[in-house]
Amino acid sequence: MSLGLKATMSREVGRLATRRIYLFSMVLVPVLMTLFFVYLLAPGLPLRIPSAVVDLDHSPMSRTITRSLNATELIDITQKLESYDEALEATRKGDIFGFFVIPANFQSDALAGRTPTLEYFTNMTYFVPGTLAYKGFKTIAVGTTGSMVRTTLVDAGVDPSLVGSLIQPIAIDSHPIGNPWTNYSYYLSPSFIAGVFALMIMLVTTFSIATEIKYGTSPQWLSTAKNRISVALAGKLIPQFVVWTVSAMFMLAMLYGYRHFPMNGSMWALVAATLLFIVGCQAMGVLFVSIVPNPRLSMTLAALFGILSFSFVGFSFPVQSMYGAVAIFSWLMPVRYYFLIYINEALNGIPLYYSRWYYVALILFPFVCSALVGRLKKACLKPVYVP
Amino acid sequence: MKRVFHNITVWFRDLTAVFCNEWRIIVHDMGALIFFLALPLLYPVVYTLIYNTEVVDKVPVAIIDDCRSEMSRQFVRDASAAPGIDVVGYAANLNEARRWMNEDKVYGILRIPSDYASDIETGQQATIEFYADMSLLLRYRALLAAVTDLQIKQTADITMNRVNMTGLETTGMAKMPIDSHHSFLGDPEQGFASFVMPGIVILILQQSMLLGISLIGGTSRERRMRNGGIDPEMIDSASASASVWGKALCYFVLYIPLTMYVTTCIPEMFDLPHYGSPVQYLPFMVPMLFASAFLGQALLPLMKERESAFLIVVFTSVVVLFAAGLTWPRYAMNGFWTWFSNLVPATWGVEGFIRINSNAATLAESARPFIAMWILTGVYFLCAWWALKWIRVRSLLKAKA
Repeated sequence: MSLGLKATMSREVGRLATRRIYLFSMVLVPVLMTLFFVYLLAPGLPLRIPSAVVDLDHSPMSRTITRSLNATELIDITQKLESYDEALEATRKGDIFGFFVIPANFQSDALAGRTPTLEYFTNMTYFVPGTLAYKGFKTIAVGTTGSMVRTTLVDAGVDPSLVGSLIQPIAIDSHPIGNPWTNYSYYLSPSFIAGVFALMIMLVTTFSIATEIKYGTSPQWLSTAKNRISVALAGKLIPQFVVWTVSAMFMLAMLYGYRHFPMNGSMWALVAATLLFIVGCQAMGVLFVSIVPNPRLSMTLAALFGILSFSFVGFSFPVQSMYGAVAIFSWLMPVRYYFLIYINEALNGIPLYYSRWYYVALILFPFVCSALVGRLKKACLKPVYVP
Repeated sequence: MKRVFHNITVWFRDLTAVFCNEWRIIVHDMGALIFFLALPLLYPVVYTLIYNTEVVDKVPVAIIDDCRSEMSRQFVRDASAAPGIDVVGYAANLNEARRWMNEDKVYGILRIPSDYASDIETGQQATIEFYADMSLLLRYRALLAAVTDLQIKQTADITMNRVNMTGLETTGMAKMPIDSHHSFLGDPEQGFASFVMPGIVILILQQSMLLGISLIGGTSRERRMRNGGIDPEMIDSASASASVWGKALCYFVLYIPLTMYVTTCIPEMFDLPHYGSPVQYLPFMVPMLFASAFLGQALLPLMKERESAFLIVVFTSVVVLFAAGLTWPRYAMNGFWTWFSNLVPATWGVEGFIRINSNAATLAESARPFIAMWILTGVYFLCAWWALKWIRVRSLLKAKA
């Protein structure tokens, strides 16, 4: 039996080495996608959002506001416009993501107690810049109001040391745990790179098995493995597992070694999760090709699951906020558990105990997914290619 | 002169023949039909269903009340009433609350210090401690916004009381000297589906087309391998330019109803922002479809078999999603990535369509992406033309070898 395994493995190594598509899908794509995310998102936050100020007042006070807007790290005043309509047009053209309007007679109204209104607009069609511009504008608007109140109160004879608590009687002492910089890359890079791995692992697994059926080599594959489907699968998937592991170790070294992503827990726990995650995705691939032993349909299933997992798994929109019937799907994906382990281990650094069920789930994938291999064996013995 | 006319006639005859032939191939290929029809029809619906709850609200929060006064209880009542916060319970201390957080029972902790009430009563600044789980930015953002609103409400209540006590009301200080007002444009409810779907539908158009073209192209390459470098199903006698245009027109015609469906029906069905006029966005989509049709054909030298499409094209959807600037805005990309994203038709398609659809921009205001897509159409036509010539020659050479 061990002879069968050895022979099947060396047969598979030969197949992997002779087709460039394997090198492309198993090494090139994971490595390039890792570099893509790490370097694209390197700044962490898209600061200095192109914005405009519409100053209808032209007073010392309005110029101070413009200066302080430009001084915040979030806002970059790229245009100074003269009307609301011009600003809307610049928004529609995509030149700016928001604008701040200082009304005419702002200074004189403010000083005379006639309560002028500062208005600011943010374009939410692009979520991240819209949100950040809103934050920048709001900070300045609130700050301007606060300093105005302070001046007036002090002028009215209120003790300056009490003014602070009078304006802001309650302060919020914020502790964002694990990512105080709100660095976007710390969410997007590890989760999306893992998503790409999951997608490619499922696709390559189905491809490598289904092409045996397509080109009629599957009976030979099985006979090399002494007609045992378990040996055949192990012989095929172990060499692939080794290649995936090399690519995944590059990914981990890049993120946590070279780029110093947060690693507040145990690196070994994450490495273990990565290996289990690879096996889990391979198992999903085997399941797809067992359900439909046909290259196109099984790869359609793998692509469907792989691409939808970027959304279902809730890298950006929380699973808890989805419809219940939709959220169920997130639990069918190995990458979901890997993502949760990453959050617990790397970002939050909490004890392994809290991730125990995620590890169990990853371990279960190969067992559950092998339920239909008997069906796969039958298809491999009598290969029929349906284009 | 006569010769020129003759050549033109032949070119158009070839084009028509390729167009009809391509149509026949698509209709008889189940795999191509899934990519060309099922994918653009179903994916937008599935995606919208995922994000259709739109907003993150009722984030579970634990309270640690070290003050246990009427004032702190009032604070908790206000917190419970906030739409963004769901108070799940009182924790005895920070350790217990952190344990709840580790167990994913809560995603935020609000701690009211023991001197909270006395600070407020003596006119000092009281401090609320806020601990947030950062596992998802969207949830953190929703919670932070809710906590900030809570702070503003408490501040307003307390300030009013205090200012009244100082007797300054008569001087007009009870009202703020400056008011501020904000409006969200394009996606007024800040919903997630409303933000992401107008971009996603355009990406789906491009990617489904690339997948379909690659599948057909890969299948044709297999036939060339089997038949001595010639594909009996394709019209190889047609000139490369007529052939490339004939196929592009075929895909274009096939995608006219699909484009109408994703740009008009999907926003209407799911009540997404849809302020633009079809007169503006349908003409805008023309170069987007042509550029995609030629890009797909330009990539065909890579597709050696029917299944290549899956391994080579599917993962690029992730690249294209980011290139389009939906997640990470384009102004924050460095020179290389800006340049790279400029080469993707959907980058411009997404940008222009979002402005027209959600901001009610006109076609004239979207001139920059519109022109960019026409330039890409030209560039990718040349690439596709060269690609087809290469494939024809290469297949024959390989067959001889």
